Amino acid sequence: MNIREWALITFTILGQMASGAMLVLMVVRAYLAMKAKTEEVDKMLDGPLFIVIPIMGLALLASLLHLNNLSNVVNAVPNLGSSWLSREVVLAVTFVVLAVIYTFLQWRKIGGNTLRTVIGWITALVGVIQIYAMGMVYMIRTQPAWNTLATPINFFVTALLLGGLAVAVAMMIMHSEAEKQLPLFRQVLQGIALGAVILLGIEFLILPIYMAYLATQGPVALESLMLMVGPYFGTLVLRLIVIFIGVGILVTYLSRNLPGREKAMATLTYSAFVLVFVGEVMGRILFYVTHIRVGL
Amino acid sequence: MTKQLGFYFDASGCTGCKACAIACKDRSDLPVGINFRKVYQYEGGSWGPDPRNPDLMIPNNLFVYSLSAACMHCEKPICMEVCPASAISKRDDGVVLIDKDVCIGCRYCEWACPYAAPQFNEEKGYMTKCDFCQDLQAKGENPVCVDACVMRVLQYGDLDELRAAHGTAASIEPLPDASLTSPALVITPHKHAQVSGKGTGHIISVEES
Repeated sequence: MNIREWALITFTILGQMASGAMLVLMVVRAYLAMKAKTEEVDKMLDGPLFIVIPIMGLALLASLLHLNNLSNVVNAVPNLGSSWLSREVVLAVTFVVLAVIYTFLQWRKIGGNTLRTVIGWITALVGVIQIYAMGMVYMIRTQPAWNTLATPINFFVTALLLGGLAVAVAMMIMHSEAEKQLPLFRQVLQGIALGAVILLGIEFLILPIYMAYLATQGPVALESLMLMVGPYFGTLVLRLIVIFIGVGILVTYLSRNLPGREKAMATLTYSAFVLVFVGEVMGRILFYVTHIRVGL
Repeated sequence: MTKQLGFYFDASGCTGCKACAIACKDRSDLPVGINFRKVYQYEGGSWGPDPRNPDLMIPNNLFVYSLSAACMHCEKPICMEVCPASAISKRDDGVVLIDKDVCIGCRYCEWACPYAAPQFNEEKGYMTKCDFCQDLQAKGENPVCVDACVMRVLQYGDLDELRAAHGTAASIEPLPDASLTSPALVITPHKHAQVSGKGTGHIISVEES
């Protein structure tokens, strides 16, 4: 691993987390809108909304580290016609600009609630397209270990898993003990926990299918598979264990209603986030060390 | 595209002397770690018991052949396709060039090119590769790799003419399948040549610096 690869790991993980968090926030907002007044919804979600911009900002900063000729950085855009990397750059920048606009409007309560919600959904949608574009960047026909559906699927799983947990962490940090006892607060956290379990299931399902697929895709794909089950097998297993524990502890505790145990809930949410984050980083490291290009 | 320049390589006559690679390194004044042209030795086969003396192992289908490879100036250049900066272009004569003033050094083309042609120059901060000795060609001279070839097995010219004269083979191990990028390359295969993707051998040449 070198600086360049760490830059890409940071960019993809944080970029996905920010987009995922934005989408989760909008879904939670839609759910709460059916159950509570706008002011209550805003009170619960306006604070957590502020995490999107710094996370995406960090991601974009990291992405610059992987370029070697910063004086030409504006040139990263022109090839929109055929380069997914160009498209990704444009989408990432659009996403962060929209996120700034939405956060500002929401913060200052400018424009009607409906207008803001529409802008929020547009931002979330650009985020989703951005995650898709990130996947397409790696779907190069000369890279068999990357050129599979598993790439975009895994990116979406990472986005929603880390995005959801980041929102949960932000809610835990930004709300008072009294607010944490509100039934709606509990419901949102439980919803995120349930989502995490489903995503964990998808992740555990994709992996064996992906590995079996690699075994059938010719000698180069097989070489990648051999790296996964050979020198990197330990990382692979450790990653699954870490994520399993992370999602596991979150869910067991949050699925029970524990009145008066807000401190414990917070600690568990933070540990779950850290564990899943570490697991996703390990997964992304594997992604970058096991790909092998066909040819020379 | 009015024309497509390409390389012709007669693998049946190559001795693997690497004069082409050295000439290229010299003329392009390349630093340690970068070689626009490389010669790959591909080896395979195994040892088996001698029928008359089963305790003795004798060569069984052992083979080795050499392939000289640089940028293939592909008809479908994947480097150009993925470059976010549009720094890579294809001239009317088919030559694929990198514009150093536009390149952002993201190395995405390096991930994509199956011929390992674009190589990152740490000192300069941008991608570099074979430019088909365009300056020499403009003066009516040959690319240095072609002139350096002791066995006269490396040639260049109009791809259609090369194909008419030598056939269309280009998917030879250890090169990738030609359908990926349509390289401007014609090979006369070595008698032991194996088809791309179905090879039983491996590259044995040590990576030069």
